[in-house]
Amino acid sequence: MDNQNSFLGNIRIALGLGAGEERDKSHYPALFSSPDTGAIVARMQNRTAEEKEELVNLFQENARALGIHTHIALTDSDAAGIVVELIRSKEPEFTHTKHIMQHDHPDIAALQLWKRFNREAVTVHTTFSADSELREKTITSFIGITAPVIGVADSATVIQFTTPGQPRSTSLVPSIHLALLRRDRLVADLSEAYALLGEKGYPDSFVFISGPSKTADIEAQMVHGAHGPREMHLIVLPAADGPLGKKEISL
Amino acid sequence: MNPTQSSDYRTAAVAGIGSERLQKSLHGLQDRFGKGAMKLWAGMEDREMRSRVKDSRMRTLEHLDIILAELAKNVRARGGQVYFAETGQDAIDYTIEVAKKNEVKRVVKGKSMTSMEINIDPALENEGIEVVETDLGEYIIQLAGDKPSHIIAPCIHLDRNQIGRLFTDKLGIDYTNDPPALTLAARKALREKLLSADMGLTGCNLACAETGHISLVSNEGNIRMATTMPRVLVALMGMERVVATLAEHREALQLLTRGAALQKLSTYVSFLGGPAAEDDPDGPQEFHLVIIDNGRCKILADPEFREVLACIRCGACLNICPVYGKIGGHAYNSPYCGPIGAVITPLLDGINKHADLCKGETLCGACREICPVENDLPRMLAALRHKLAYGSDRWNTRQHNPAEAYAFSFWRLLVTNAFLYRSFIAIGRIFQWPFVKKNKMIKKMAGLASGWTAHRDLPPIAGRTFSELWKEKYRTTRPAGPAAKIEEEK
Amino acid sequence: MAGNTVSLFIQCLVDTMFPQVGEAMVTVFDRLGIPLAYPEGQTCCGQPAFNSGYRKEAAAAARHFIEIFESAETIVCPSGSCVHMVRHHYPELFPGDADMAARARAVAAKTFEMTEYLVDVLDVTDTMAEFTGTVTYHDSCHLSRGLGIALQPRILLKNIRGLELIEMQNSDTCCGFGGTFSINYPEISTAMVDEKIDNILATGADAVVGCDISCLMNIQGRLSRRGEKVKVLHVAEILAGSRGGNA
Repeated sequence: MDNQNSFLGNIRIALGLGAGEERDKSHYPALFSSPDTGAIVARMQNRTAEEKEELVNLFQENARALGIHTHIALTDSDAAGIVVELIRSKEPEFTHTKHIMQHDHPDIAALQLWKRFNREAVTVHTTFSADSELREKTITSFIGITAPVIGVADSATVIQFTTPGQPRSTSLVPSIHLALLRRDRLVADLSEAYALLGEKGYPDSFVFISGPSKTADIEAQMVHGAHGPREMHLIVLPAADGPLGKKEISL
Repeated sequence: MNPTQSSDYRTAAVAGIGSERLQKSLHGLQDRFGKGAMKLWAGMEDREMRSRVKDSRMRTLEHLDIILAELAKNVRARGGQVYFAETGQDAIDYTIEVAKKNEVKRVVKGKSMTSMEINIDPALENEGIEVVETDLGEYIIQLAGDKPSHIIAPCIHLDRNQIGRLFTDKLGIDYTNDPPALTLAARKALREKLLSADMGLTGCNLACAETGHISLVSNEGNIRMATTMPRVLVALMGMERVVATLAEHREALQLLTRGAALQKLSTYVSFLGGPAAEDDPDGPQEFHLVIIDNGRCKILADPEFREVLACIRCGACLNICPVYGKIGGHAYNSPYCGPIGAVITPLLDGINKHADLCKGETLCGACREICPVENDLPRMLAALRHKLAYGSDRWNTRQHNPAEAYAFSFWRLLVTNAFLYRSFIAIGRIFQWPFVKKNKMIKKMAGLASGWTAHRDLPPIAGRTFSELWKEKYRTTRPAGPAAKIEEEK
Repeated sequence: MAGNTVSLFIQCLVDTMFPQVGEAMVTVFDRLGIPLAYPEGQTCCGQPAFNSGYRKEAAAAARHFIEIFESAETIVCPSGSCVHMVRHHYPELFPGDADMAARARAVAAKTFEMTEYLVDVLDVTDTMAEFTGTVTYHDSCHLSRGLGIALQPRILLKNIRGLELIEMQNSDTCCGFGGTFSINYPEISTAMVDEKIDNILATGADAVVGCDISCLMNIQGRLSRRGEKVKVLHVAEILAGSRGGNA
C-alpha cells in the first residue's frame, strides 16, 4: 500500500493540495452520484406488446448490418429446431468431429440437445462447474451456446454475464456463437441497459457482444473471423411468461 | 519512450509523402473516418454529450486521487491486485516479478500503447519470455519488425502484397495476398498462441471506479482471448484512463467507439473486475492492475496542459489531420502519433527532444473540431511553442532556437515603430530586384525564405505599398478619422 | 453601428505584397458609401510571433495595434487569421495586466473580417459586382474553424452577376501555409498545397477565391511554380470587379 500513498500523494501535490491531505470520497458526494434512472426503468417496465415487438425488429435490422444472423423462434420447440439445424448444417473449423459446448442454463437445457443427435456424430458438452476438462472441451467445440441476460436493440448487442456454470470462453473460443435470448430481455438502447446494470447489479466479469469477430487491419478491408467466433447467430425466444413476459428483467 | 525509433521528423515525413501506398491508405482512412466522424457529431441528437463528457473528464482529473483510491479499493475487494507505478520502469519491474513468480514463458498482448510507451517488450524478452502481439495489425508489425503508423489501424502503411510475402516468410504458408486468406492464416497462428499463453498483457481503455472494473474494447476478440485463456492477467493503465461512475462510463465509451471507427459499439467490450472465481474453467487466476504515472502528474499539475489528460485515445484526430494525412505515423517517432501524439509526446518525453512535433503543424484546428471530448490541441501546441521560444524551467526546456529568437526581437523593433517598419520595407524592396524574375515572381531566395522558394514562387514587395498608395491616392479625399488623429499626435 | 467609419486594418502582407487587395477593399467600401479611415501607424497584428511561441514580442505588436486602433469606431480587416489573432489571442497576451487585457477585449469587440462585416453587420449581400467566369472558394482555417465564417463569403460570391461558384472537394482542408511552417517544413507544406491545388483544378474553375492572403499567397506561389493558369483572387478583388491574375 506504500506506493499507493506516495502515488496518490504526488497527484495531490499536482492538484495543489498537500501530499498527505488524503481526501475521503464521502466529502465529495457529487463525484459518485449518477442521474436518476427511474424514468428509464419505468419506460422499460411500461413497454407495450407492440413496442416490444418493435424492439425485435429493430434488433434484427441492426444485427444484419453487423453480420449477426437473427432467427425468430415462436415457440421453444421452434428454437430447438433452429439450433439443431444450425448444428447439422455447419462444419467445424479446427477439428474433424462435431463438438458443441452449451452453458448450464434453463433456456438451453430446455432445448434438450443431449437427445437430438443420437444417430449423428455430435457430442454435446455442458459447462457444469465440476467438470475439470471444460477448457479442453471448449477448445474442441466448434459451436458455443449461451443465453445472454440482456439484448440491446439499438446496437444489436447482447450482454453476457460470467457466472458459475456460465464461463467466458463458451461465447469466445468456438468458431460459431449461438446466443439464445428471450424477447422480453430486449431493451431499446445502451442507456436502458446501463440503467438495468445500475439497478440490478453486475458480476465481476461481463462482456458486450455486438457481432462476430472482425478486423479491417489489412488495407481497411473488412474480414469476419479474427480471433473470436467468425459467425454469430441470435435466436429470439418467446417471452418467459406469456406474450408480454415479465415486467422486470431479472439479471 | 521507445528509444529505438530515431527518424528525423522531416526525413521521415518526406518518406511518408513519397510512399504511394501510405498516401492511398491515409487518404481512404481520412475520407471515410475523418469526414464520417464530423458527420456523426453534426447529426447527434444529444448535442451536449461531448461537453458533458469533457466536464466529467476534467472533474475526474481534479479528483483523481479520490477516484483512483476508489477504483483500487473495489478491484482489491474482488481479489484483484493493484500496483501504483510511478515510472515506466516500476511498471516493468512489477510485471516481470509477476511473470517470474508465475513461471510465465509466453505472454500474449492486447493492443496497448501504454505498453509501448514504457517499452516493456524488450524487458520481457530479456527474461526469456516470448511476447506475442495478438491484434492483427500489431502482429503484422511485430512479424515485420516495423513500427505502427496509426493508433487504430497500425499497419495501414503496408499493402496486401507486402503482408502476403511477410506471411509466406514468417508463417510458412503459400503466398496469397487475399485479405480474408491472410486473416485466416493469422487467426490460426495466433489461436495456438492465445490458447497456450501463460499471461495476458493488456492496456485499459476505460476503468470504472464505482464498479471496480477495467473495460477494454476490440473488434477482433484478441483482447477477450488474452484476458480469458491465460492464467495471469496484467493490465497496464495510464492513471488518467478512468471514469468515476457507470453512467459516465456509458457516455465515454460511446464517444470512444464512435470517434475510433464510427461504431455505436465495438464488437466486444469486456468488463473485468478481478480474478476468476475458484472453479471457473477460464479467466485469470491472478488479476493485476498496474496504474502508471510516468510523467502524467507533471501534466496534471500544469493548468495549460492538464486538458490533454482528458483524451480517451480514440484516434479521431489522426483521421482528420492534414499533416498526419501526408506524413503518416512513423514521422512522429513515438507510440503516440497524430495531433494527440504531437502534444503528449513532448510532455512525456521532452519538449526540446520533440521540438518538431511541437512546431510541425499548421494549427488548422481540425483536430479540435473532431475531438469527441473537445480537447483544444492547437492551443496546447501553441503553448509548447511558447516553451521552446524562451525555454521553461518548469518543463526543463532550454530556448530552442536562439537565432530565431533574435530575429523576432528584431521584428519586434520594427512592428512597434512605424517609421522603422516602413524604412525596412523600402530597403528590402531595393535589395530584392536581383531575385525578381520575368514573371514578376521570385524563384529563389537565400536564408530563411529558401524553404519557401524551394517549391513555390514568391511575389516581390510591391512597387508601392498600400500605406504609400493610401497617402498618395486615397487619404486626401476622405476624413482623417479618429485613428488618424492619434497618428498625427504621435 | 452601420454608419460607423471603418478603420482599415489592412494586414502586413496586403500592405507590402498585395496592395491591390487593399485598393480593391477601398473600391468596394466606397461603392457602398462606407466612410473609411486608415491609421497609418499600423504594422502587424503579431500573429507570426505568436504562432512561433514568441508571446512577449507578439504582446508588443498587440500593444502597438491596440494603441493605434482603440479609438476607431469599427475595425475591418481582409484577413480571417488576423481577426482571429485579435479576437482570440489578444486578451490572453496580457496575463497579470488587467488593464491591458480589458483594452484588448474592447478592441477585439469591434474588429471584423471583411465579409463578416458586410453580411452580418451591414446586411449587405450584393456589392453590385460583376465577374464572368467560374470560381471555386477556399475556406481558410482561422476564418472557417476559428471564427465560424463560411457562409458569408459564399453569399457575397453568389450575388455577383455572371459568376458561377463551384465548390471544391475538401474546401476547408488546410492549404499548408501555417506561417513559418511553410518555411520550416517545406516538403509537408508543399504536399498539402499540392492536394489543395489538385482539388482546385478538378473543379475546372477559372479562379480560386479566398479571404486570407496568406493562404492565397501559398496557393498562388505553388500554382505559379507548377505553371498552372488558374487565377488567384482575394474576395475583395472579385467584389471590386477586378479581373485578377496569377503573378
